[in-house]
Amino acid sequence: MTQPAAAHRGATLRRAMGLRTTVSTSTGLAFAALEYLAAAGLVAYVAGDSAWIAVGTAGLLALMAWGFFGELNGMFPTAAAIRLYMKRAMDDRAALTITFTYMSTIVLVIAADAFIVGSAIAHMFGQASWSAALWIVVLLGLAVVSNLRGIRVAGSVQDLATYTVLVATAVIAGAAVLRSHHALRFPLTPLHGHSAGDFVEAVALGVFLYSAFEWVTTNAEEVRRPEHVHRGMLIAVGLLFCVCALVTMAMSHVLTHHQLTSAFPQLFLGRSAFGRAGMWAMAAVTALTALNTFNGGFITASRFIYATAREGSLPRQLALLNDRAVPWVPVVGLGVLSAAVAVVVAVSHSWQVLVATGAGLEAMIYAVAAWCVLRLRSRMPDQHRPFSMWGARVLGVAGLVVFGLLAVTASVSVSNRFDPVPLVVIAVAGGLSAFYVLRVLPGIRAAEAARRASVPRRRPPRSSPPGDPGASRPIEAGTQ
Amino acid sequence: MASAEEIVEAYAAWRDRCNANERLRRMLRGWDRVVHLEATDTGDRFTVTVHEQTVGELAADAVGAPDLVVTATSEDFADLFWGDLNPSEKYMSGEIVLAGSQEDVMRLDALSMVAFLDQ
Repeated sequence: MTQPAAAHRGATLRRAMGLRTTVSTSTGLAFAALEYLAAAGLVAYVAGDSAWIAVGTAGLLALMAWGFFGELNGMFPTAAAIRLYMKRAMDDRAALTITFTYMSTIVLVIAADAFIVGSAIAHMFGQASWSAALWIVVLLGLAVVSNLRGIRVAGSVQDLATYTVLVATAVIAGAAVLRSHHALRFPLTPLHGHSAGDFVEAVALGVFLYSAFEWVTTNAEEVRRPEHVHRGMLIAVGLLFCVCALVTMAMSHVLTHHQLTSAFPQLFLGRSAFGRAGMWAMAAVTALTALNTFNGGFITASRFIYATAREGSLPRQLALLNDRAVPWVPVVGLGVLSAAVAVVVAVSHSWQVLVATGAGLEAMIYAVAAWCVLRLRSRMPDQHRPFSMWGARVLGVAGLVVFGLLAVTASVSVSNRFDPVPLVVIAVAGGLSAFYVLRVLPGIRAAEAARRASVPRRRPPRSSPPGDPGASRPIEAGTQ
Repeated sequence: MASAEEIVEAYAAWRDRCNANERLRRMLRGWDRVVHLEATDTGDRFTVTVHEQTVGELAADAVGAPDLVVTATSEDFADLFWGDLNPSEKYMSGEIVLAGSQEDVMRLDALSMVAFLDQ
């Protein structure tokens, strides 16, 4: 049914995303400020400076996820892809429940970035830690207002921001290692003094370092060439491996336990590399990552909520538009919810719970993607697949098992100790989604169907030969 | 299948409705775009131009470089312009295929929604 965006017979789009912007979008969405906390959290699970091995192992798993999303995106190259492939792979109620649960990841990431940037600003200006909560509200307030005014970061600015973040982070991490004048400790033996279970935890957090690279698939309709999406994601995974391996190695090499468990380990990394100037540089880089997160996160989530409301799967109020054609209810709702989560995290100092919850949710969605690839290979064997994953049946089963296990592992461990809070958070989000889908949505759909049935058909009857189905068709379910 | 004439007639009614809606015209501020429509079943192609907050006449065939390309059946185009079809629903089910930026896709759907529901 669907076809590649650029496969239409018409002329080339006037404004289309090239490969460079596709790579920067994919990398930028993954490389949020939360990346630094996840990297700092990861090093606790492995010996010395061997975190790069866990990051590399996670990178191989991310490549598997890349295969799943590459194949699914090729089949459904649209911003609504997640709805399309999940609806075809499973019961629609299950698909909607998983989708809504997954959307909570965006709230977590926006909240996390607001918290991290707020904490970094408060620290840089020597303010009390509680003032981070004020900065969080200010930052999210600015993000909401700019979104409501329809302001979005241009592709070229996004490219510049993302590549600046990557280069600056890599340079600072590399300089921190080189200027420490110490030899690397256990760079090849991650299990030294640790268990295999610790390494699995490290890999689960490592997967989170790559997470959200697949969100670029929602741009499938605007790329210059369809293959840019899967190529862009592949390059992004490579870039993320290089930078994250370096950052984790540098953090384990130069930071103390106290610095690693702080809300802004990246600032200490900057200080280790270039003193006070390095600290300010990392503060600026952290703020830049938030630019991408706030821009991409708000737009992706609010537009998806709008489309889902228009489809009839969420209350109609969520599709209300302001005069700049921005769905203002989802934008304000996302801002308020993210601010609430960020302030709770700031007050309770529970940012590692946020990291573990995000890691659990992302591993879960990768397992779901594996399931969808397997099911659609059976249900839609003849569907055109511009990108066909090699060894899909074997890797699909492997992905389902491995990501499922990682989801569970990440959900019950915080800072190298058993803690079921992330699992509880995910279960609550899933439970609320299921309650909405099973108990609330039927009522909303029934009311919407009744409303549509009361609207007379506007299209005049066609004077055509008998038997023409277009002459007197009943009102469709899709009526406005 | 809807004929090209039926689509032109439906579009004319839709365009009048859009251009008469003050709120919609405000929403179109700064959104000058060229939209190509492609009917999968008849092969008919059309061009819609939005310029200075006004929805222009429907041109036959694909004219100029588009910002957005909408691919659907001729029946869906006719129903859409009469307001008898929810384009978002068709889009989310994969029956209407789009090429263009997410923002432009949103605006196009907003045109349809505000014109008929005034939300």
